[in-house]
Amino acid sequence: MQRYLVRRLFQIIPVFIGITFISFMIIRLAPGDPIVALFPPEVLNKVDRKVLAEQLGLNDPLPVQYLKMMANFFSGQLRSFQEKQTTFTLIADRLPTTLILSASAILCGLVIGIPIALISARRPYSILDTITTTGALIGVALPQFWLALVLILIFSEQLKLFPASGLRPIGSTSNNLVEMVPYLIMPVLVLTSSILPSIIRYTRSSLLDALGQDYVRTARSKGLRERRVIFAHALRNALIPVVTLIGSLLPLLLGGSVLVESIFGLPGLGRLAVRAALNRDYPVVLTLNMLSALLVLFANLLTDIVYTRLDPRISLG
Amino acid sequence: MLPARLNSANGNDEPRRQTVLGRFLRNRRAVFGLLLLIGFCLMALLAPRIAPFTADAQVLDDRLKPPGPIYRMGTDGLGRDILSRALYASQVSIAIGIFAMLVAISVGVGVGMLAGYFGGWIDNILMRLTDMLLAFPTFFLLLTITTLFGRSIPILVLLLGLTSWGINARIVRGQALAVKGEDFVLAARSIGASDFRLMIRHIFPNIVSIILVDATLRVALVILAEGGLSFLGLGVQPPTPSWGNMVADGGSLLRKAWWVSVFPGLFLFFCTISFNLVGDGLRDAFDPKFRR
Repeated sequence: MQRYLVRRLFQIIPVFIGITFISFMIIRLAPGDPIVALFPPEVLNKVDRKVLAEQLGLNDPLPVQYLKMMANFFSGQLRSFQEKQTTFTLIADRLPTTLILSASAILCGLVIGIPIALISARRPYSILDTITTTGALIGVALPQFWLALVLILIFSEQLKLFPASGLRPIGSTSNNLVEMVPYLIMPVLVLTSSILPSIIRYTRSSLLDALGQDYVRTARSKGLRERRVIFAHALRNALIPVVTLIGSLLPLLLGGSVLVESIFGLPGLGRLAVRAALNRDYPVVLTLNMLSALLVLFANLLTDIVYTRLDPRISLG
Repeated sequence: MLPARLNSANGNDEPRRQTVLGRFLRNRRAVFGLLLLIGFCLMALLAPRIAPFTADAQVLDDRLKPPGPIYRMGTDGLGRDILSRALYASQVSIAIGIFAMLVAISVGVGVGMLAGYFGGWIDNILMRLTDMLLAFPTFFLLLTITTLFGRSIPILVLLLGLTSWGINARIVRGQALAVKGEDFVLAARSIGASDFRLMIRHIFPNIVSIILVDATLRVALVILAEGGLSFLGLGVQPPTPSWGNMVADGGSLLRKAWWVSVFPGLFLFFCTISFNLVGDGLRDAFDPKFRR
C-alpha cells in the first residue's frame, strides 16, 4: 500500500504542476498588468512598483517568474481587493459551508439514488424503470439556477415552508448544524438533482452487470433468498465502481455550488467566486481556481485509494 | 402462378432492413427530440419574423404585465415582451452552443486522433494535457477566464469550446486506438498509405458516429453552461437577451412576476432536452448491440 501511495503521488505531481502552470499562464496571457491584477490599490500607492515587480519576478526569466508567482500564491500573502483580508482567510472562512453542501448532496444522492437504481435493475424495462430513466433525462437537462428559483417560488413564496436565503437565523452565529437544516434543504435538493441522474444510471448498469455474473447464478441456484443474493452478494460488488463515480462528481458539485450559493445567499466558496469575478478581484479568483483544481485532484486520489481498499482483485503493485 | 405480392419485402419472409436512420426513427423519444430540435432551430432562424415585438422594445406603461392576449408570456420590468425576447435569445444561446461545440470537437478530435494514432510519447503528453484540463472544475475556470479576458460573445464561444474538449479527446483516442488495429487499416498501410491518409480516409469515417453523438450532447451542455454564466452576469451581457440573463432578471421579482423567470427557463430546459434526446437516440441507433 505504501508503494502504491508513493507511486500515485508521483503521478499526481506532474498534473499538480501542470495545473499551477496553466493558472500561471492564464495570468500572464491575460490583457492588463499583472501587478495591477494581483495587488490592491493601497499597496500600489505605498510600495514602489519595482519592488512589486521584483516580488512577482516580472523581470526574471519565465521559470523563475513561475516559481515566484507560485510562492506568492501559496504563502497566502495575496490580499483580496475588496475584503481587506488575505485570500487564505477568505477561503478558509467559506470552505466549511461548501463542504457541508457538497457532502450533503453526495449523501442524499446516494441515499435516494441507490435504492432507485436497485429497483430499476431488478425489473429492467418495467414501468418504474421507464419512469426512472425519464426522470434522469429531465434531471440532466434541468438548469440548476432555474430549478432553484422555481423551488424558491413554490416553497418560500407560496407555501412559506423554507427560508429562501442565508444559512442561519438572523443574528445567530452558532455553528449548530440542526439549526441550519431548514436553510440547507432547498440548496441541497438542487445540488442533488444535478448528480442524481448520473448516480442512478451508473449504479443501475453496474448492478445489471453484477447480477449477470456467475457468482450470482451460483447463489441463486444454491436456493438463497433473492434478497440475500442481492444485498449480501451483488450489491456490494456493484457499489465499488460507484466510489470512483463520486470522485468524478466533485467538479460538478463545485460548479453547482457556484450557482446554488449565489441564489440562496450561502456564504461558501461558490458565492465568493462569483462576487470576486464580478468585482474583478483577481487574487481571489485565481487562488480559488487553482485550489479547486487541487481539491478535485486530491479527491480523486482519495477515491482511488478507497477503491483499491474495497476491491481485493485490484493489485496494488 | 403466385401473385408477386406474396414475395414482397415487407412480408413475413424477410427480416426488416436495419439502418441507422431506421432505428433512430423507430425510437419514439428520439423522434420527439428531433421534432423539438427542429422547432428550436426554426425558432432561432425565424425569430425576427415570428416575434411579435423586438428584443428591446420597451413599453413602460406595460411593465410586469402577466401573460395575456397581447403579451403571451408577460412583460418584464422594462415593459419588454418576454416571448419575443425569448425567441431572440434562442438565436444567441443556440448559436453559442453550436459554435462552441465546433471548437470543442475540432480540438478534441485533433488531439484524440493524434494521441490514439501515434501512441508513444505523443499520446502520453497529450493525455496528460487532457487530464490537467479535466482536473479543473469547469465553472471555476470559466469564471476565471471571463474575469481576466472579458465577456464578449466570441470570447464566450472560444472559452466554452476550449474548456470542454477533454472528454471528447479521450473518447476519440479510445476509438482511434481500437480502429488502428483493424485489418483494413493494416491493409491500407501495407500498400503504402501515408499516416495522414490513414487517419483521414480510414480511421476517421469509423469514428464519425461517436463524434456525432458527443457533439449533440455537448451542445446541450454548452447551452446549460452559457445559461449559468449569463445568469450570474458573467456571460452574455444585457441588453442582448439570453435565456440565462432573462431568468436572472426575474430573480428578484419572483413573488410579483413569476413569468419573467419561469418562461425563459422553460425555453432553456426544452432546448437542452431536445439535444439530449437526439444525442441519446443517435447513440442507441448507432449501436447494433442496443440493450438499454
